[in-house]
Amino acid sequence: MELITLTVNNKRYQLAVEPHDSLSAVLRDRINLTGTKTGCEQGSCGACTVFVDGLAVQSCITPVMKVAGATITTIEGIADQAKLHSLQQKFVEKGAVQCGYCTPGMILSSLQLLNENPNPDRHQIQEAISGNLCRCTGYKKIIDAVEAYVQESNGKMTAPPEIKKNSSSYKTIGTPRPYIEAEKKVRGAAEYADDVRIKNALHCKFLRSTQAHAQIISIDTSVAEKLQGVRAIITGKALPISFGVLPISQDETALAVEKTRYIGEIVAAVAADTIEIAEQACSLIEVKYKPLKAFFDMMESVNDIGENEKIHAYGKFNNNIQKKAELRFGDQQDELSKSDHRLKIDYEFQGINHGFTEPHAATAWWDENGLTIITATQVPHYLHRYLAKVLQVPMSRVRVIKPYVGGGFGGKSDPFPHELIISHLSRLTGQPVRVRFSREEVFLSNHGRHPTKMTVEMGVSREGEIKVLDADIVIDGGAYGSFGVVTSYYNGVLLQAPYKINNFGFRTRRVYTNKPQCGAMRGHGAVNSRYAVETMLDQFAEKTGLDPCQLRLKNFLSENTTTVGEYRITSNGSRESLQRVMEQSGWKDKYKKLPAGKGIGVACGFFISGSALPIHWNEYPQSVVHLKLDLDGRVLVLSGASDIGQGSDTMLAMIVAEVLGISMDKIFVVAADTTLTPIDLGSYSSRVTFMAGNAARLAAEELKEKMLSKISTVKNVAASDLHFEHEQIFTTDKSVSLTWNEAVEIATRKTGALNSSGAYNSPKLGGDFKGAGAGLSPSYSFGAVIAEVTVDAETGQVKVTGIWGAHDAGKAINPLAVEGQLEGSWHMGMGQALSEQMKYYNGLLVNSNLLDYKIPTSKDTPDIFTHIIETNDPEGPFGAKECGEGAIHPVIPAIANAVYDAVGVRITSLPIRSEAILETLQKNKHVESKPESV
Amino acid sequence: MILQKHYLQPLTVDEASTMAEKNKESFKFIAGGTDVIVNKNQGNENAACLIDLSKIEALKGIAQTGNFLRIGALEKLAVLAKNPLIEKQFSVLAEAALSVGSPLIRLSATIGGNVLCENRCLYYNQSEWWREAVGYCLKCDGDICIATQGKNACFSELVSDTAPALIALNAQLTYSTREGTHTLPLESIYTGDGVTPRNLEKNAIVQALLIPTDKTYRTFFAKLRERESLEFTSLTCCMSADENDQLRIVLSGVDPKPVVVTGNLNDDPEILITKAVKSARTVDNDMYTRKYRREMIRVYISRGYKKLKNAL
Repeated sequence: MELITLTVNNKRYQLAVEPHDSLSAVLRDRINLTGTKTGCEQGSCGACTVFVDGLAVQSCITPVMKVAGATITTIEGIADQAKLHSLQQKFVEKGAVQCGYCTPGMILSSLQLLNENPNPDRHQIQEAISGNLCRCTGYKKIIDAVEAYVQESNGKMTAPPEIKKNSSSYKTIGTPRPYIEAEKKVRGAAEYADDVRIKNALHCKFLRSTQAHAQIISIDTSVAEKLQGVRAIITGKALPISFGVLPISQDETALAVEKTRYIGEIVAAVAADTIEIAEQACSLIEVKYKPLKAFFDMMESVNDIGENEKIHAYGKFNNNIQKKAELRFGDQQDELSKSDHRLKIDYEFQGINHGFTEPHAATAWWDENGLTIITATQVPHYLHRYLAKVLQVPMSRVRVIKPYVGGGFGGKSDPFPHELIISHLSRLTGQPVRVRFSREEVFLSNHGRHPTKMTVEMGVSREGEIKVLDADIVIDGGAYGSFGVVTSYYNGVLLQAPYKINNFGFRTRRVYTNKPQCGAMRGHGAVNSRYAVETMLDQFAEKTGLDPCQLRLKNFLSENTTTVGEYRITSNGSRESLQRVMEQSGWKDKYKKLPAGKGIGVACGFFISGSALPIHWNEYPQSVVHLKLDLDGRVLVLSGASDIGQGSDTMLAMIVAEVLGISMDKIFVVAADTTLTPIDLGSYSSRVTFMAGNAARLAAEELKEKMLSKISTVKNVAASDLHFEHEQIFTTDKSVSLTWNEAVEIATRKTGALNSSGAYNSPKLGGDFKGAGAGLSPSYSFGAVIAEVTVDAETGQVKVTGIWGAHDAGKAINPLAVEGQLEGSWHMGMGQALSEQMKYYNGLLVNSNLLDYKIPTSKDTPDIFTHIIETNDPEGPFGAKECGEGAIHPVIPAIANAVYDAVGVRITSLPIRSEAILETLQKNKHVESKPESV
Repeated sequence: MILQKHYLQPLTVDEASTMAEKNKESFKFIAGGTDVIVNKNQGNENAACLIDLSKIEALKGIAQTGNFLRIGALEKLAVLAKNPLIEKQFSVLAEAALSVGSPLIRLSATIGGNVLCENRCLYYNQSEWWREAVGYCLKCDGDICIATQGKNACFSELVSDTAPALIALNAQLTYSTREGTHTLPLESIYTGDGVTPRNLEKNAIVQALLIPTDKTYRTFFAKLRERESLEFTSLTCCMSADENDQLRIVLSGVDPKPVVVTGNLNDDPEILITKAVKSARTVDNDMYTRKYRREMIRVYISRGYKKLKNAL
């Protein structure tokens, strides 16, 4: 131990530290300044940035001894007491904050730039934050915030916050506003799972399998158990009950039982007094394995496996196929044979990880109320169920609390082994147990987008009408089921729009391999197959001599129609979306007219606004919202919806405020606590605004009814004559004119607080054939993207230089948040298009870190032009539809189509590798190429 | 036996040497820490005693010294990239420095640390658990090279961006050991063996880089990477041509040591390119393929040729 002095945010600390402790660990664990985040522990994400003697450093790779005696400023020290720093204020105003996990680092990196250069331009801002990864925003609004700050501090009046034209008479809905918790996030005060400190918590570490597929012969924990400070060690037999997010694939256990199915699977878990002791204990556990033949190649898993052992025992065939999903409408091969133009193309897609900035973390403890767990999850409800199942306690003795979550994108939408394990370890030890993943462990847990191979056939008429589509798909599920059965269907069914296709069929086979499992990720299931279709349409445009946009316009489904698989299409902004991006991008002057090496491409897409069918077959509503109005005049909103940075808490508050005609500061949202809040199924399948939003609207309307009934009785006016607006309850003739608080007083007389409840359940939809439920949604979003690229013909490198996107979000309840979702989706899609992939060596993930798993930096991200298209869905809350996932679909093929326009290379595998472009260019010698410029 | 951990901060080179001697069982010099600490977090660096040189004034400063521009080993990459003299006369070094890591990394990382940064390989720069699972490679006391699936040599790459720039400028390195101060051409410290990539004694303290100022160069810099920030190099190509068109081509990221090819700008580029490609022992240990990186050597040198010719 060494005694050091640190001055942190103007406060002096004397601390005894271990000589090799990192500054981030001391700030977080010793001084309790948890605004400093850690995301990678290798200086490749920037979340841990702090100032040391006025200079930005990454505290996770800075030994605290190095800065002994120094003056340190963390995010908590940026504001001037109660007053936010103007830059923090701009981050709030401009919507630069979504999940908020990268925000402290972003603000400090921006301040570093501003110290050096008080007047940076946009390009310099982009450069300055290029060591800070953000997965939510696409950086656009962050750069906007810094730019606005610069303008303001130079005395320039920034354009007054753009008041988007509110076409409706709404007072709150449709007006862009920051998240209700944005200020807490820019201060570094928002607590994420690893920031929550429960007294006397033990630390949990895992021993993970080094074998891809092996029988566990023995596990010897005896030496580890003797280590001073070890409190409990468990292995698979402690928690043998299986689980899985889908009732039909309960194929996973908390720890490997009898055999391991991927390298990285948890084999033993230790709870100890410190992280170091837990780690050391793991290294003292001896595991003997008997290796089995491992399966890494998805095509091998399709085949009969002979004498070898299957990855999972169940299933009647001797192969590793988990699920076959197949639907056919018409005879595809027959129609293909009759088509004027037909194409059959093989595609291959690498696996993709969510790349959220906050690693998984959780703390669990037991008390008189049973188990409580605070965890970074998108699905408190499913976790609630499976904690009860695996730990064998009634659901009434389990409480799941979601704190602020640093991004999810589907990666926190399953119940996870670590959540089950620490809950059990806490029960065994009688002490709280906490766990925090390294970035490597995040990648090993995966649940990301499936590696996929597919053959797609399409037929199009001479006039450019899509006649038929047939897809044969294999998806590599890794070792366990997760959402895979849904993914299998989505790969196919989500091709039946946005174009009218009457003859349509697909087969998907999801196979097990000995790799980390795949699951749901933004754009779930349909991203890869959408890519195939949209790049094929580009080829059909060539074949038919039509402009690719025209071809698409020709084939769009109309509004208020049904698809071949009986999806109910309500409002449909496809046409408007595409037309908008055509105009904005200057498509007509650019397509096939840009100089060699530059290109422009287009694609479209659609997505569900929540799955109409629940995962668990029951009659319980998909989302319930409770409201409570008490004499303080504040409305308490209770919802199980999980805000993971997408802004659902704000959305709920806005809806309630709108219905009741009150301001946002009269609303208090409590969300995602399974004991306090009614059930919502979670943040996945783009369901939250649609379903929880509807529940909130219904609850608010019920509360309004209750208030009306009392007021009309007391005031002796017809309820229908009373209006709720601007915190007033009045009649048009002003015979009744009450302030909100007066109205509340009347409404709560004698009875006390008013409560109301709203519940949403999808209407019965769809056909009555098997598989008809897959992809059914009460509403669908639509959108289009045009991308512009530059391709270096000598290196094959692609640079995206512009993205124009438009998305039909129904009614944008909070346009600032909607834009944020869209920009984040386009940015994430660009990563899958160009640089992201999960690379394996004999089943071992090679790039399980943020250096080699390449999330685009601010410098890789082009200008993004965002257009919200509003169509007002008849069933969405105030007309709203999804906006969090669908936008990722069109951006990837748009980039690939632009590459073709630039250099004439068709891309059939993702990510688009410079290697592949170059190879094709050399093969084609592409001499005929296009004219230099027109 | 687990050694007691220490973190020492000497104020002079002598003091640093004494500390090194005292802790010779297990010590590592550290400056900015952006390389050493990352390796330490992954268990690739396990020294019990870290000797932090960053308080030694003698290792700082950028100044003309005789016929050399002396760059103290502790100079931060962000700072030296903005030095007017370097920007003007040795822009290749400024470009190289600005290509390292990210703006945040460059605020901490030093030039001394960058020329000495540990060689990297996809199969080595991994956690302890990972390396156990893959079956330890040569660079971590295993028996074979995993990247080449069995070769008995380590091809981990030199990933310094500033080293090739400095070598293109004929820079020298001064360092001190207990025996005294030594000056060597920078390129001579690299062994070409991925396991022990540098031949400096373990207790050597790099003091400065010296760039001769009696020559002026036209230079070229290019770095192959998938993203425009936050990347180690997959190929860095630095080229310089002096008044007599004497050409130096220096590559990193494609071999355990810098690949140096010299010639004249009026030579047939093909000959030098072929020589460079042949000298580079590139293996598949990067997210880019070996084949592609070798091809890029060709492309980059051709581009360098063009630029330097046009700059005449």
